[in-house]
Amino acid sequence: MIIDQLIWIPILTGLVVLVLGDKRSNLSYSLSLVISSALFFLSIYMYLLFDNTLASYQFELKVPWIDRFNINYHLGIDGISLPLIMLTTFLSPIVIFTAKTSPKNKMHQYIASFLILEGMMIGVFSSLDAFLFYVFWEAMLIPMFLIIGIWGGKNRIYATIKFFLYTFLGSVFMLIAIIYLYMKTGSYLISDFYEVSLSLNQQILIFLAFLFAFAVKIPMWPVHTWLPDAHVEAPTGGSVILAAILLKMGGYGFLRFSLPITPDASLFMAPIMITLSLIAIIYIGLVALAQTDMKKLIAYSSISHMGFVTLGSFVFFIQSGSMDLNTINLAISGAMIQMISHGLISAALFLSIGVMYDRLHTRDIEDYGGIVTKMPKFSVLMVFFALSNAALPGTSGFVGELTVILASFKVNIYIALLSALTLIIGAAYTLWMIKRVIFGAVTNEKINSQSDMKLIEAIPLSLIAFLILLIGVWPKPLTDTMNATILSLSYLVGG
Amino acid sequence: MNNELTLITPELIIASAICLLILVNSFLTTEKRYTGLIIGSITMATCALISLVFLIETTNSSIFNNHYKIDHFSTGLKFTTYLISLFIFIGTKTNKENTKSELVLLELFAILGVSILASSNNLLTLYLGLETLTLSMYGLVASKRSSEIATESAMKFFILGAIASAIFLYGVSFIYGLHGTLFFDQFNNETINNSIEMQLALAFIICGIAFKFGAVPFHSWVPDTYQGASTSSALFISTIPKLGAFALIYRLLYEAFIANVGFWSLLILLLGLLSLILGNIIAIAQDNLRRILGYSAVGHIGFILIGLSIGSIDGAIAALAYLVIYILMTATAFMSIEVISTEKRAVVTLTDIKDLNSTHPWISLIMLFSMFSMVGIPPFIGFYAKWIILSELINSDMLVIALIGIIVSVIAAFYYLRIVWYMYFEKNELPIMKGSPNIFQKTSISLVGLSVLLLGLYPSPIINFCRSIISPFLLID
Repeated sequence: MIIDQLIWIPILTGLVVLVLGDKRSNLSYSLSLVISSALFFLSIYMYLLFDNTLASYQFELKVPWIDRFNINYHLGIDGISLPLIMLTTFLSPIVIFTAKTSPKNKMHQYIASFLILEGMMIGVFSSLDAFLFYVFWEAMLIPMFLIIGIWGGKNRIYATIKFFLYTFLGSVFMLIAIIYLYMKTGSYLISDFYEVSLSLNQQILIFLAFLFAFAVKIPMWPVHTWLPDAHVEAPTGGSVILAAILLKMGGYGFLRFSLPITPDASLFMAPIMITLSLIAIIYIGLVALAQTDMKKLIAYSSISHMGFVTLGSFVFFIQSGSMDLNTINLAISGAMIQMISHGLISAALFLSIGVMYDRLHTRDIEDYGGIVTKMPKFSVLMVFFALSNAALPGTSGFVGELTVILASFKVNIYIALLSALTLIIGAAYTLWMIKRVIFGAVTNEKINSQSDMKLIEAIPLSLIAFLILLIGVWPKPLTDTMNATILSLSYLVGG
Repeated sequence: MNNELTLITPELIIASAICLLILVNSFLTTEKRYTGLIIGSITMATCALISLVFLIETTNSSIFNNHYKIDHFSTGLKFTTYLISLFIFIGTKTNKENTKSELVLLELFAILGVSILASSNNLLTLYLGLETLTLSMYGLVASKRSSEIATESAMKFFILGAIASAIFLYGVSFIYGLHGTLFFDQFNNETINNSIEMQLALAFIICGIAFKFGAVPFHSWVPDTYQGASTSSALFISTIPKLGAFALIYRLLYEAFIANVGFWSLLILLLGLLSLILGNIIAIAQDNLRRILGYSAVGHIGFILIGLSIGSIDGAIAALAYLVIYILMTATAFMSIEVISTEKRAVVTLTDIKDLNSTHPWISLIMLFSMFSMVGIPPFIGFYAKWIILSELINSDMLVIALIGIIVSVIAAFYYLRIVWYMYFEKNELPIMKGSPNIFQKTSISLVGLSVLLLGLYPSPIINFCRSIISPFLLID
């Protein structure tokens, strides 16, 4: 029941906000802020009720929906979905909170879009029925399409249509795969798909169909080109949700669908997946180095970091001899931690860029320099986020990347070495950006007239910084939640 | 009272309403009269109720010497027709510009035609219904007399339609020559059914059907009439006759000529694929909102024909579900256009709906529902239409067709998104137009628009309804 509320309360609030209209946007703002914060506490309550020792689904809710095709409104969470849901409920109030920092036309529609989006994202992470999953997965495109298209930058229409068509094309293949699996099993229940016996060729085709959907979403090289465009043009809130949560759906999809449904095909395709992940980590990292636009730089850095998620999800397949359960466990845990950690760090970085953009209305690195002289408090946080992006020990970024690299070491030392290059490349592009933006002499006259960040900007950034540190030094609450589920997933994949 | 006449009460009521309307109109001369609206709406409401009763009571009988059939399919289809017509009447005829009662008269004739089509059990009865429907459609298109485009498109429509009817009749004459009968249940001579002449006859008949549906290559009238006719007529033409065309295809192919399923399913599949691909691709290049909707209709018809080409009961159910859903979506789109048009400025091109979100947030939200629904994005009803067809295709091992269908849907997404883009993303410098819809229009557009969303959240009613009228005996499970 709690999940049900987490999905529908924000959507209904969104509708109420739409009805309230533009004139009462202050009321809508307070209302949505209260409701979305309450939802965060509701999800904490759910976390406290969650039983770490169980690998099965919890808080299950099952209601017949379309009888004719045996489709159920079937929700439930396990150790993989819970952290992602918490990430969603944590970031949504923050995004709504920051909606006020820059003036917007049709504020009520902006807030409503994010509320509706929040409900749908939680729906994606908690659907146990593949059909329901697809409904949420696709429906989510609509608010995101509007957010980028209405409140985005100059080139927003190009960016949003590209975003929509890319992701839509990816996911329709997944629909075909889901229908095909239904024909095989007579059920849309995802866990029924795990037990269907398929020949290797069938598995590979299904794997590819799912891969299209997830690779576009994550995004993997070479289908990543929509992301920099979408990120650059989206308003700050849109970038935050896009980077922090939408990208994670691809990773979640691999763990929920690809690995357990098609383990043989995953084994078969693993070398390709690992190669693509390494290309993302190294090549896209180098591309990030060459960017002159801050948002674009962080966008490429996101692709590079998400490479660790795909690497963690597939690296254990190429172990020599029989698959070691511990390695599988380690690699998948690494991928999961990396997802949560990247969700927090990228959100923080996009928010920070938003803070600067609201002041100077430019994203070009060249226009900045010497921010620290006028905005010292802000600079502390920004530098902290940059360092966590470069995987500084003690931050969550370090935990995620190190775990994946460790798992890779157990499998193949060359893969580990190549992936570890990110520690250099990542540090290079983030720190170089920081050097040019935060430090150095003030080159842009306008910077001299800026004041330090306001409280309304400081609160969300500090909250995220606290969580990044917390996971960095004490990841146990996070890993404990996931352990049982990841272990059972490892059995499904390697057993 | 004669039992046979009781069974055709809806048709009798419509016929009487037509007579009454003609009578009343000859005594009323003022331009702003609502007789058409009132008589039309009452007729439709009554007929819908009566057919609903018939539907629940499971009447199954052949009347008038087996010429006319009352079964689940006919009553179900009639019920749908009457209900949608009721919404169309209330949604458009309350607008001051559409009060000419000739329009209602012609539309009632068309509805009568659809009813006869749905019930026919004989090629002659079928042709009677078909021509009643088509002739009144010519009149509807031409009714905007002052407009050049309307006259031109009506002329084109008439000439092409006459040729199509002639081809259809030619095929029918072949059938009569071969089988010596016109009754649907008597075409069961195997030797004749396997002959080449029979296939030729079927090819002619299918050409006629394709024209009525507006399938490629017989589609050229669709965008023209959508553009030329007044919005309310276009709304009517884009919805009700499609139900008639479905009745035509179901009665002929699924009942009369089911023995030749191997042959006709190939033809229908070909027509479907052509319509799907060409319709959707040509629509991308259009700037005129109505032409976009016209080509989009051709594309949707493609999907419906592909569903029908499966040749199984499940395929027909899926196709009917798609059709009903398509009608809901189109009705929503055209009603939105109707509502924001004013006497001085009709909504024609995409630039006319620039920044609609600022002036009419509710209408543009409903239009957005309709557009995303046509793309096939859940939770809107259009998604289930595509999904149910895809399911049946994959179930029948037509995976390649399913893939083509789905890739074309992604391509088609672009022009629907373009409509959303003009409504939401563009800034409008021109003076903003102010259509002022009345309460009836607002109610009916809200009902139809919300149904696109709410039926999307719970689509079982539509799926079960379509199942119950095509295969009533399966409903028990």
